[in-house]
Amino acid sequence: MMTYIVFILSVIFVISFVGFSSKPSPIYGGLVLIVSGGVGCGIIMNFGGSFLGLMVFLIYLGGMLVVFGYTTAMATEQYPEVWVSNTTVMGVFLLGLLMEVMLVLYVLKSEEVGVVFKFSGVGDWAIYDTGDSEVFSEEIMGVAALYSYGAWVVIVTGWSLLVGVLVILEVTRGD
Amino acid sequence: MNPLIFTTILMTVLLGTMIVMMSSHWLMIWIGFEMNLLAIIPILMKKYNPRTMEASTKYFLTQATASMLLMMAIIINLMHSGQWTITKVFNPTASIIMTSALAMKLGLTPFHFWVPEVTQGISLTSGLILLTWQKLAPMSILYQISPSINLNILLTMAVLSILVGGWGGLNQTQLRKIMAYSSIAHMGWMTAVLAYNPTLTMLNMLIYIMMTLTMFMLFIHSSSTTTLSLSHTWNKTPLTTTLILITLLSMGGLPPLSGFMPKWMIIQELTKNNSIILPTLMAIMALLNLYFYMRLTYSTSLTMFPSTNNMKMKWQFETKRITFLPPLIVMSSLLLPLTPMLSILD
Repeated sequence: MMTYIVFILSVIFVISFVGFSSKPSPIYGGLVLIVSGGVGCGIIMNFGGSFLGLMVFLIYLGGMLVVFGYTTAMATEQYPEVWVSNTTVMGVFLLGLLMEVMLVLYVLKSEEVGVVFKFSGVGDWAIYDTGDSEVFSEEIMGVAALYSYGAWVVIVTGWSLLVGVLVILEVTRGD
Repeated sequence: MNPLIFTTILMTVLLGTMIVMMSSHWLMIWIGFEMNLLAIIPILMKKYNPRTMEASTKYFLTQATASMLLMMAIIINLMHSGQWTITKVFNPTASIIMTSALAMKLGLTPFHFWVPEVTQGISLTSGLILLTWQKLAPMSILYQISPSINLNILLTMAVLSILVGGWGGLNQTQLRKIMAYSSIAHMGWMTAVLAYNPTLTMLNMLIYIMMTLTMFMLFIHSSSTTTLSLSHTWNKTPLTTTLILITLLSMGGLPPLSGFMPKWMIIQELTKNNSIILPTLMAIMALLNLYFYMRLTYSTSLTMFPSTNNMKMKWQFETKRITFLPPLIVMSSLLLPLTPMLSILD
């Protein structure tokens, strides 16, 4: 099972995305978002990116999602919608689940899947450790490169975040 | 809106488009599009009523979908070419998806449905920014990937846009919707020649922006958003009626005025490439556009439009100072003799 752990994690990833895309109440959306964040962290860590996975848990789940959960709890209604309460929500969830199951069966059965890109069944999802970069970890070097060669990206994303705050305040301010 | 915040947000719109036009990395282009979209939402919502909020929501939804499609095309391109540089997109799937995404951003048929509704719901100045500045970024990306765009899809979208832009505008009396359908038709002309000579796309974009800028500023000057309201300008500023006449005929593409130059060059370029039926069809469908421009000029400048006697006087608000209106009017009507200067573009 450990060979195919990335495949299993990515299937759980897609299922939890389907879970919040079928639009239950935001509280339950946040619940599956926690699951998807954790599973995504697992996928990244299997590729050797332990630092980035920790970032996902700490900043995304522990920072942003907690704030989101608190604000949603303040604005929630008396009977929030679950996946089984509304026919539409359940229908969309089951449809997404069905499509994912069919895709998984297709991948498992056939040798090669060529939808947009060709990948050969489950084999392509397994992690092969080539053992090259043992001296330094690639992903931490990537984060370091973001602040040296990628200074323009940092400036642009920082400015976008600032303008995002200004825009949201402006939009919700009203008259 | 607080002037400092408004300036910051407007500068971010400019910055977003500049990032799109100047980047060599696909991810930065996507970031530029998103920055542009995020910052223009409060500008669309300047007046706070349900119509503007609905229009901003529609704009946000369609443009966000287009950005998602663009991201998917970028990733497919990355998977097949292994690099992030802007070149022509070699993989056909990625090229088709990217063309559809940029067509959604521009408002080409079959993705044109948001243009009239969004333009109608917002104020005239915001509509001006929407129909001129927002077209620059997607068009610059189309220019850069033009050698690899699937010609069938591009020409189909272009011809259908000209058709829809002409036919859709026929039943409109609201000026903003008329300008929206005119924008759809002009985008169709621009993308038709994109595969043959992209320089002419840029020429058409330049002249279209000048003419649309002029039209919107004339509308802002007379504070009119309907045909009926525009038909009362003879009473308030009679000079504006003549200027509206000239600019509208220029937008329709009539010869001694500058609007004829892009259409002439595009038809010439298409016939040089041995397609005769296509430019004929395009020229015939441009007549639909000309019809509703003519109807506007008829009601505004050529006749004293019928109205009840107490409606003939418009409210005399303080005259708005419109920057650059005289040079814009001159440029949008008298540029045709400069056509031989286009030879410097080679």
